[in-house]
Amino acid sequence: MFDPKVITALLADNVRKSGNPFGLANGSINTWWKGKNLAGEGGSLLLTGLMYQMVPYINAATGLLEKYEDTPTAERIRFARWVPRFLSAAVLKMKASGEDRNSAARILEDITRILAASGVDFAYRPELDFYSGILLYDLGDLDSFITHARRVAGRLQEAGVERIITVDPHTTWALKKLYPRHAGYAPEVRTYFELADLSGSTDREVTLHDPCFYGRYLEVSQVPRTLLAGLGVRCVEVTGSGPFTTCCGGPAESVSPALALEVGKRRVTELEATGRPLVTMCPICQANLRRAGAEVMDLATLLAGIVENRRTGDSSRRTEDRGRKSEEFPSAAIE
Amino acid sequence: MTLVTPDFVEELQQYGDDTVLRCFNCGTCVAICPLINDSFPRRLIRYIQIGARDRILAGGRDLWQCLHCGLCSRTCPRQADPAEVILSLKRLVLAAWREEDTKNV
Ligand code: SF4
Ligand code: SF4
Repeated sequence: MFDPKVITALLADNVRKSGNPFGLANGSINTWWKGKNLAGEGGSLLLTGLMYQMVPYINAATGLLEKYEDTPTAERIRFARWVPRFLSAAVLKMKASGEDRNSAARILEDITRILAASGVDFAYRPELDFYSGILLYDLGDLDSFITHARRVAGRLQEAGVERIITVDPHTTWALKKLYPRHAGYAPEVRTYFELADLSGSTDREVTLHDPCFYGRYLEVSQVPRTLLAGLGVRCVEVTGSGPFTTCCGGPAESVSPALALEVGKRRVTELEATGRPLVTMCPICQANLRRAGAEVMDLATLLAGIVENRRTGDSSRRTEDRGRKSEEFPSAAIE
Repeated sequence: MTLVTPDFVEELQQYGDDTVLRCFNCGTCVAICPLINDSFPRRLIRYIQIGARDRILAGGRDLWQCLHCGLCSRTCPRQADPAEVILSLKRLVLAAWREEDTKNV
């Protein structure tokens, strides 16, 4: 385990300087929207909170931390001086994998397709897409979290944002529950899948891994199940699901990749007992369960795949080229 | 020897927690915690209840094992909210470490 004091100080310092835990410019992390012609005005604001975009850097950082955790080298090195250097923005940028970046971008694009297919009026403004600061809150650095949250809330208020669409459980929890309490800002916050109104049909079974914040804290795990049921997807449940879901282990990765992996492996064993393809709706869960050896698809990929298959199979509708053929959707692979 | 800090519960309240005295040490949280590690989080709660502030500080790092997953709070029969207790402890310990650093500078 790494010294939480050092890790927290490093992350808080990065958030202060760059607005995200990695010290990289938000603009260099957040590139998925380029060339997508998303509306910049109207309806609700799609705010990704940059969590999906951060996965390539989380994976890079976890890989580095993992290498040194509990080794004699780690013991010899004074982390207070050493950790910030080896986890520097430049190193992480170099180590972040292109495949991870593409995968995050595809999921976010799928979310915009789901919203469009559901007739949701939404806008995307990259300059207003901020990281929520949630990691600082979870690590116990309440002062740094509040400072960041107030800065973000101020910018969103200034822009007149009253309705927000979120894409991950951590940002949703932060904006819905923590920002009203700690930053005096209480916009209406809905996840994209709460707004989804899709048609399409398939016949398959999956097992959902409910993220803690959706299943337990926000109690919305029934929503994706109902949505999937309407599309012909049956969810085969594990014991730890819904409000009693078991954690993927991901939240430990910044201080102990070994612990995150151990907890993740136990969860993978639970989930794989059903023998069905695994689906989740959180970038942290997906990354950690994958690290623990599981194949895990994002809910958005599954939903967009079903919708796209319906569209390409329906000749009465305009089937524009969206840059990816339906057979390339991973949904085909789980049948 | 353990030094007892009688007003530790009040001190912790400044960092958010006000439920810790509800715990009656049943151990449900230990049984359900995904860390499956000795007696986490019940041990910490007991330390708070008896005012063992120095023991908490001595093992301060272990608090960051907690995933803040909330399963313990969900299943606690006394609504003692152990997950929030641990988060409050993280805040208190961070503040104590920072104070120590300031003194040492
Ligand atoms: S916190 Fe709740 S579950 Fe844990 S020992 Fe106390 S009463 Fe039992
Ligand atoms: S919140 Fe922390 S103590 Fe409670 S069950 Fe989860 S990991 Fe264990």
